Amino acid sequence: MENAVVLDRLTKRFGRFTAVDEISLSVRTGEIFGFLGANGAGKTTAIRMLCGLLLPTSGSGSVAGFDIYRRSEQIKLNIGYMSQKFSLYGDLTGYENLWFYGSVYRIPAGSLKARIGELASSLELEEFIRRPARSLPTGWRQRLALAAALLHRPRILFLDEPTGGVDPVFRRRFWEILYRLADGGTTLFVTTHYMDEAEFCGRISIMHQGRIVAAGNPQELMRTYGQNNLQDTFVHLISRGGADA
Amino acid sequence: MVQTIAALIRKELLQIRRDRIMLRLIFIMPLVQLLVLGYAVSTDVKFIGMAVHDCDRSSLSREFVRSFSAGDYFIPRDSGLPLLEIERGFQENAYDAVLIIPPDFSKTLAAGGAARAGFIVDGTNANAAAISLGYAGIITAQFNGRTASREVPISLRQKVLYNPEGESIYFMVPGIIAVLLTMITVMLTAMAIVRERELGTLEQLVVTPISTPALILGKTIPFAILGFVEMSIALAFGVLWFKIPFAGSWPLLYALAFIFLFTTLGVGMFISTATRTQQQAMFFSWFFSIYTILTSGFFIPIANMPAAVQYLTYLNPLRYFMKIVRSRNASSSSCGR
Repeated sequence: MENAVVLDRLTKRFGRFTAVDEISLSVRTGEIFGFLGANGAGKTTAIRMLCGLLLPTSGSGSVAGFDIYRRSEQIKLNIGYMSQKFSLYGDLTGYENLWFYGSVYRIPAGSLKARIGELASSLELEEFIRRPARSLPTGWRQRLALAAALLHRPRILFLDEPTGGVDPVFRRRFWEILYRLADGGTTLFVTTHYMDEAEFCGRISIMHQGRIVAAGNPQELMRTYGQNNLQDTFVHLISRGGADA
Repeated sequence: MVQTIAALIRKELLQIRRDRIMLRLIFIMPLVQLLVLGYAVSTDVKFIGMAVHDCDRSSLSREFVRSFSAGDYFIPRDSGLPLLEIERGFQENAYDAVLIIPPDFSKTLAAGGAARAGFIVDGTNANAAAISLGYAGIITAQFNGRTASREVPISLRQKVLYNPEGESIYFMVPGIIAVLLTMITVMLTAMAIVRERELGTLEQLVVTPISTPALILGKTIPFAILGFVEMSIALAFGVLWFKIPFAGSWPLLYALAFIFLFTTLGVGMFISTATRTQQQAMFFSWFFSIYTILTSGFFIPIANMPAAVQYLTYLNPLRYFMKIVRSRNASSSSCGR
């Protein structure tokens, strides 16, 4: 399979408000794709449609080769999702959380134990996994959430601002893990507000007022718009896009 | 499907076990309520304070007053006070009843006429007032039977079956068990989904391939289990502590409770999906529980309600279950003897 995500003029309207306006993009398998945009640009709505939580108003799309209108069950089995807000159970231990999600993803009990052990060691979570999740420092919680999203070996991983509120050292190590995943063939679809993180992405798209105003390799985008860094490129595109509208 | 539901049940039970406050709420509070309410929610009317204003002061009038004090129902007090002071005492709740005997009481009786005596009750508590009036009527009838010169045309012989001592505890404790089962299952289920929505964990759950039926079953079965545990504890407490005679069929009672739980769990699940916050869910569960309890016949007999409200009670599942728990227990006492 060549492309992990393909969208063609995907649109979502809420009443008279158009949250996502005819976006088209394709994400290659094994790529780290940065999905950028200002607050309220429509990123979350777009991701919700990709994860099968929201039906589009028009346009077409497929995720992991499955149609987003009709195969949301198949999509859900093949994607992982990690949100900025910690969404595991704070009163359960890391292990209990992972066991629960593993069972929900229909991993047989026999292989689940080994899978949890494998993830705990690759994410260096072993010493934290027996503690209640709420007692963990933010950085470790996010690793735990990542482990939960990876249990079923998803082909595509959606990360919605995964490093919010985490210190720079932790962020750097988190991205090292993401690189390892991409090397292993997992497609990563990441939203972020940190422009240094966006530079780690193979390709990015920038959304503004429901539309994709630019897409491409971060370095190319900087050159195209004559800016020295991605931050300025972003601000330039957003203010230009605002003038267009 | 089965693995998913089992995982959800396991998770819910684990979370309840972790939550100390919740555990206390679920298991200790009902026992406290059963103990306190079991004794307090008593409809037994006894030891009614009664002022006596006897203008006749004859041996016959004194005998009439004495007949009221037999059997612990009335405590005659303050004989001989002027009417004005009795009235003030009545207003200040010093007594709940007043017996007034006019001066010509014994004379009229001796002449073979029909004597009159006044009996006034405080109607604030309508139930207690009706029961006092009933007692007074019976006492008077018995007095008539003893003293009347001629035979009383009809003498009614009364016998109470199933609960001959008229112990309201045999009636109230099973009722409380039904009320507790309703409240616990409605409230816990009402919290089930909305709590995850509020905490943000629902977002993670909906991106998993979990199906809606699996989610609903996984979110109700744990509370059905808890409901049964709760009911068993309360029943054991009722039988062992309150000595409620039970000789009905346990399997039948549990089977009927199982059917009843569908209604409370269903309402709880509905509340949980229709509300946005736990606060709203709590408010709706209270509203539902109070309505359900008041129209179930728990305190007020359904036959005493206005006709329109009586029809409304047919919509109330607790109305039926209330009858079930109470009759299970009541019929047993007759089988036991």
